[in-house]
Amino acid sequence: MRDRYPDYDVADKRATPSWNDATRTALDQRLAVHPGPRFLDAAAFATLQALCGRILPQGERTHPVPLAAYVDEKLWLDKRAGFRNAELPPLREAWQRGLAALEAEAQRAYGRGFAALDPASQDALVGRMAAGGLHDPAWGDMPCALFFAERVMAEIPRAYYAHPSAWNEIGFGGPASPRGYVRLDFDKRDPWEAAEAQPGREAEARKANSRVGR
Amino acid sequence: MLHGASAMLGASVLADSAVEHYRGSFDNPGMYTPLVVSAVTMAAGIDGASGQWLPRRMRDGMYALSGAVGAIGVGFHTYNVLRRPGGLNWLNAFYAAPIGAPAALSLAGAIGLAADEIAETSHPDRLKLFGIPVGRALSAFTALGLMGTVSEAGLMHFRGSFQNPFMWLPVSLPPIAAALTAKAAIEPAGERDGRPMTRSWLWLTSAMGIAGVGFHAFGVSRAMGGWRNWSQNVVDGPPLPAPPSFSALAIAALAALRLRDLEDA
Amino acid sequence: MSDFEASTPLARDGRAPNVFREGGWTPMRQYSETEEVDFAIVGTGAGGGTLAARLAEKGFSVVAFDAGPFFRPLEDFASDEESQSKLYWLDERIVDGADPLVMGGNNSGKCVGGSTVHFAMVSLRFRPEHFKARTLLGYGADWPVDWREMWGYYDQVERALSISGPLSYPWGPARPAYPYRPHPMNACAQAMAVGCEHMGMKWAPMPLATVSAPRGESPPCVQRGFCRFGCSTNAKQSALVVWIPRALKAGAEVRDLAMVGRVELGSGGQVTGLHYHREGAWRFQKAKNVVVAGYAIETPRLLLNSACPDAPDGLANSSGLVGKYLMTQPNQGVFGRTKEESRWYKGPPILCVSEHWNYCDDKNFPGGYTLMSQGPMPQEWVNIQVGARKLWGSDLRHAMLDYNHMVGMKVVGEGLPSVHNSVTLADEVDQYGLRIPRITYSWTEGDKALIAHSMDQMQGCLEGANATDIFRQEQDTNHLNGTARMGDDPRTSVVNPDGRTWDHPNLWVCDGSTFPTTGGVNPSLTIQAMALRTADRIEALAARGEL
Repeated sequence: MRDRYPDYDVADKRATPSWNDATRTALDQRLAVHPGPRFLDAAAFATLQALCGRILPQGERTHPVPLAAYVDEKLWLDKRAGFRNAELPPLREAWQRGLAALEAEAQRAYGRGFAALDPASQDALVGRMAAGGLHDPAWGDMPCALFFAERVMAEIPRAYYAHPSAWNEIGFGGPASPRGYVRLDFDKRDPWEAAEAQPGREAEARKANSRVGR
Repeated sequence: MLHGASAMLGASVLADSAVEHYRGSFDNPGMYTPLVVSAVTMAAGIDGASGQWLPRRMRDGMYALSGAVGAIGVGFHTYNVLRRPGGLNWLNAFYAAPIGAPAALSLAGAIGLAADEIAETSHPDRLKLFGIPVGRALSAFTALGLMGTVSEAGLMHFRGSFQNPFMWLPVSLPPIAAALTAKAAIEPAGERDGRPMTRSWLWLTSAMGIAGVGFHAFGVSRAMGGWRNWSQNVVDGPPLPAPPSFSALAIAALAALRLRDLEDA
Repeated sequence: MSDFEASTPLARDGRAPNVFREGGWTPMRQYSETEEVDFAIVGTGAGGGTLAARLAEKGFSVVAFDAGPFFRPLEDFASDEESQSKLYWLDERIVDGADPLVMGGNNSGKCVGGSTVHFAMVSLRFRPEHFKARTLLGYGADWPVDWREMWGYYDQVERALSISGPLSYPWGPARPAYPYRPHPMNACAQAMAVGCEHMGMKWAPMPLATVSAPRGESPPCVQRGFCRFGCSTNAKQSALVVWIPRALKAGAEVRDLAMVGRVELGSGGQVTGLHYHREGAWRFQKAKNVVVAGYAIETPRLLLNSACPDAPDGLANSSGLVGKYLMTQPNQGVFGRTKEESRWYKGPPILCVSEHWNYCDDKNFPGGYTLMSQGPMPQEWVNIQVGARKLWGSDLRHAMLDYNHMVGMKVVGEGLPSVHNSVTLADEVDQYGLRIPRITYSWTEGDKALIAHSMDQMQGCLEGANATDIFRQEQDTNHLNGTARMGDDPRTSVVNPDGRTWDHPNLWVCDGSTFPTTGGVNPSLTIQAMALRTADRIEALAARGEL
């Protein structure tokens, strides 16, 4: 994946007026997430890690965003979304059952655990789950497509895009208080915003991005 | 005194356009022009007011440049407004390039040119600009300049909803000063009382221009993050360099009044 | 209760948080639980917060309850979507029906100030005809109030909130200029303006409840863009910074972290007070009047949970309509990519409006709608990507890379009232032991026609603005209304035009749940206008001895 915002690190702005104390505290907590598992058992956590690796593959990262840890933390706190589809069990049970069912589907289809499958086989199973095509008894009365849409896709991508690494990747300005933004027109960038690299002009972007924390 | 007013106006334009064009990220290389030209005007004004080391011709060239660039700037700013969605509407008047602002540069140049004309002659009371006695011409000119500045301040303070009662000052004091100065421009000769009323209002306007910097500094301090958030609030908050343009024009008007006195004598 | 929730109330011991000062306090009058206060108000958002302020200012004794915490935005609000979910009502609710609603941050707040703490500040008036939609336009229901009276209250709310908006508004009858000037439009709003002109529709800068110049202790908006996650500068004129300070100053008491579980019915059809849970125990507050202002889910839930032998189907429910006619507003979107950088996270999320289809009757669907520009934060945006485009894997990561090049629009439509859409009680209970709501929702055929029409219009706008790779977000909803509808007839409504329940003369409802129709605009301004009206009506009734 081409680095659109080379050398941009939203954390460089930590000491600037773009971040207030509440933000610093919130992001310190985010980065210090317990590696887990605290709620799931080791086997389910391994399945979850493998699943996260397919929902948002981070093969190129030396320090991938610990997505499974965030999901496990949410389960440990039982932090719910404020609603659930009538066909789904509560948050914790949905995840426990869904991960066990995914494991059972892997064993049934490939004779191996989900985490031990190659990425193509994992993707095939995820695709079938998304399309409502998995029916192992382990799912119980929970429709697999609903589990995928309302739990997997509601929680894993949100965890990823709550992480500063993801903000750097998409060039999001990140925290903004007390300082917000001045330049709002098309193709206008405040000096404390990420600079997008035009092909062949990466050096310019790098230079601008090294200055966002000034 | 007129050179000094020119320099002061040049300085105000320099600082104001620096901040505003920095906000515009100097997208168009032309946006550096007013910075250079207002600095040149300021230099010419300082030279004219102090030692006059530069040959007059060169100084006049600098003033003329200023006058021309101001006019071109008005054109550019108008284009900037018209190409935005909605074109000429209140939203763009508030937030796009201020159409009238570059005219201050033209004013500075014109005042400087007049100053040199006056210095050249031993009988300034007989000097004429466009066929009009120079004192009258300059009085009319500075009155118009004051009213232009009043409209810009009025527009910006309207954008700010006149949320602070002091924001009414630049739309109430200077118009009176401008009206009195305009009266001086047209009234029959023979008024020899020294126009104390007009002078007082002009000094008041001049003082208000300086005090305005203080008010605007207070405005920056009460925006979110205050002065610590200067990189936003100096640019987005009330413009610190804008109010002294009232002072510069008031001083020029005072100089014009002195010429009027000579003409009346 | 899980440990991420705050559990210690701050409004106690004669003081309440001063929202304008870090660590600051403001004096607060307090009432004893045995003192029969004039009004106990359940909820402190657009309805309850506004009413608490106005009733206290009129000299009534008022205690207002909120289930959530009392925040000081300057010190408590981070610039962060995830951690700011503390503003939302995240307690469990069951959703079903053909088109189950998305709740939580989408439409429900749980803190002092209610949903106005995280709303997008859009402050629009109903089209006058929408108050008489049944009679004049042939769909929905009529409001039992006159639009001219409502417009007087709109004037008052707009002044109270110093709404920043255009000098002249392109649609509807003449109205005064907004008290504050409009905010500058960001790139995405400019794209919408270009698109509207392409489609032959008028547009305007959006009237917003965030100040464009200093006002009192509120500094002007700094365009930080996190409005939907709490305004950490107090530029946003939420109930928390406008009405709650006024209420406290006028002698009202606010009880934070106080979950009301049941309204007590006494003899003679009169209510006597309410049971609430605070600091680990159930308590009872005596009151001469109880006002329920919990919004379209918690209001019917409380009325239904208050069932007792004298009201076996719940309070105020002799018509059987408590919880019925739940309405939401279609909130579909269309998005596209631009060659230029839009960086749509800057500025308030919604800066451009077109009410063309609220005021145009030449159309093939009932109801009207508003179009508005968009500016989602990364988590919101990925939610749209996975929901609308069903992306996952590296496709999702790649699509997200275009974040800074996106523009988009959304509709806020007039969802039609249907008796089949409802709030009922599920058997499951929450952390307080109270039965949780079950929310049943399905679009009507009219809604579907409106949605299809609006998406074609938005697509046309984005094409006109030269956006490419355009896609549609087919499913989304936002504001809620209905469930305790107001009317002239006790058989077909729950409350009268004053918000007074037909069944219990000292039980009132003051929030969006009284709306007979949703109108084609965001409801907060109308909820506040109705609250001002209710306050005036209560004062008039009290003066006549009819309270």
